[in-house]
Amino acid sequence: MRVGLVCPYSWDVPGGVQAHVHDLAEALIALGHSVSVLAPVDEPDSADLPSYVVPAGRTVPVPYNGSVARLCFGPLSLARTRRWLRKGHFDVLHLHEPTVPSLSMLACFAAKGAMVATFHTATARSRALQVFGTTLQPGLEKITGRIAVSPAARRVVVEHLGHDAVLIPNGVDVARFAVDRPPHDRPTVVFLGRVDEPRKGLQVLLDALPALRAQVPDVELVVAGPGEVEAPPEVRVLGLVDEKDKPSVYAGGDVYCAPNTHGESFGIVLIEAMAAGTPVVASDLEAFRRVLDDGEAGVLFPVGDPEALAGTLAALLNDPERRRLLAARGSRVVQAYDWRHVAREIVEVYETVRAAAPVELEDPYEPDLDEVDTAVDDPSRVPETLRRWLAVVRDAVELR
Amino acid sequence: MTTAVAWCVVVIIVVSIYITWTAGRLDRMHARVDAAWAALDAQLVRRSAAARALSVPSVTRAADAALDAGPVERQDRENDLSRELRAAWPAVEAGPTRDELEAAASRVALARSFHNGAVTNARALRRNRLARLLHLAGRREMPEFFDVDEADFSDEEPGALT
Repeated sequence: MRVGLVCPYSWDVPGGVQAHVHDLAEALIALGHSVSVLAPVDEPDSADLPSYVVPAGRTVPVPYNGSVARLCFGPLSLARTRRWLRKGHFDVLHLHEPTVPSLSMLACFAAKGAMVATFHTATARSRALQVFGTTLQPGLEKITGRIAVSPAARRVVVEHLGHDAVLIPNGVDVARFAVDRPPHDRPTVVFLGRVDEPRKGLQVLLDALPALRAQVPDVELVVAGPGEVEAPPEVRVLGLVDEKDKPSVYAGGDVYCAPNTHGESFGIVLIEAMAAGTPVVASDLEAFRRVLDDGEAGVLFPVGDPEALAGTLAALLNDPERRRLLAARGSRVVQAYDWRHVAREIVEVYETVRAAAPVELEDPYEPDLDEVDTAVDDPSRVPETLRRWLAVVRDAVELR
Repeated sequence: MTTAVAWCVVVIIVVSIYITWTAGRLDRMHARVDAAWAALDAQLVRRSAAARALSVPSVTRAADAALDAGPVERQDRENDLSRELRAAWPAVEAGPTRDELEAAASRVALARSFHNGAVTNARALRRNRLARLLHLAGRREMPEFFDVDEADFSDEEPGALT
């Protein structure tokens, strides 16, 4: 299948949507599909740019939804988008975040045919939708299939667009996390996440430490993630870890602890930890319970309860057999979140959308813009092109 | 005087462009609903065929009823089939029939979601005051949602039922 993906945010800046589009493109290519990605690129000459990315122009920083977004719009970007659509002959066009005023929105208005949109944002307030809601409608109604990456994102689609969306979570590259487990001599608990963000719950874990130490005296706590934190001296604080070092941080623990207090919509950290083969102890939040199969693939403890957490961690650290069992179940659970599996679900959406979208007939009187492109590139062909167009017009008149 | 006439002409042209555009949009919305229904219909038929392959008498009866149902009772017959399938599901052994049924059920869920999305858009546009006043939808019937309880088995634990 020929798939066109449109990313609204600058390809050079790290971000969730960009990572999603990148991973999806790679997974689709691995499944044998032909993929082209249209994205804003600020450094088009960079050697890191994958061959399937087509640059659509540079971005403009715009204050948007409370932060600065680097967006891409304007006549030049529109022209490049049209050209990309025309040359691509895509079976399915997959737009990401089409309500953000950037490339995806341009493509949505310019394109015909089978269209899928993925909604990432879980913030309920969208400026563009509030101001332009009804104006955007004629474009958005061309989208046949909608995907939301989390229940929260799905709720936003339902409330703001009045539509249902198919829930397909972000994928995880499971193979990348399956690293060798480094040997260590002390029982180790790992925490990874923003340390100064209260809802990540590091404080609950630190409060549980004295009680845990009473039951497992030589326990070590490793804390990784950006931010400032006041931790007791015996806690090993790693600070911000590089993306490529994350797997070995997860694998370095006997137990991974996710003491989050609220506001988790998905729980990708749990999947990463399980993919690294580390059993998980997590607070009993709805999102975590779902990922951990109701406590089958990891241990849940009451939200924000340090005493219960200490007891749970101690029991698990003293029971290697149980840890092995949980690790085995965990590695089975993560398969459903592997990009290979997620990409197959998305392909299923593509196939259904192709069947459900009306067949667009070619307009016989629409000028062949590919010929304009060639003529512009090579002016000596202009007379020939004009002659052929005149012949087309003559035929049309004679047919009448 | 001439300026007034010129203005009137401009206004009439703009209004008629808007009306033509809305009528075209409405027509495209109906085409979308038709195409989405064709896709959903195909998946429902596929599900009925897969259900008959189970050779469970109650399921086969429900599948035949769903296949024979007219447009009015179609929704209820498909829901009956979903119910029968869910009842029979624990006894279904792993194998190609079960896989095909699972695949068909998930496709029905997708196709239904996309069909109802197209219906939502079409109904919103039909409620437009201009579209109602000028009868832009012509004699097209108001598109209806298709609410099938699609018996999605994906939530159930695969190993527990066999």
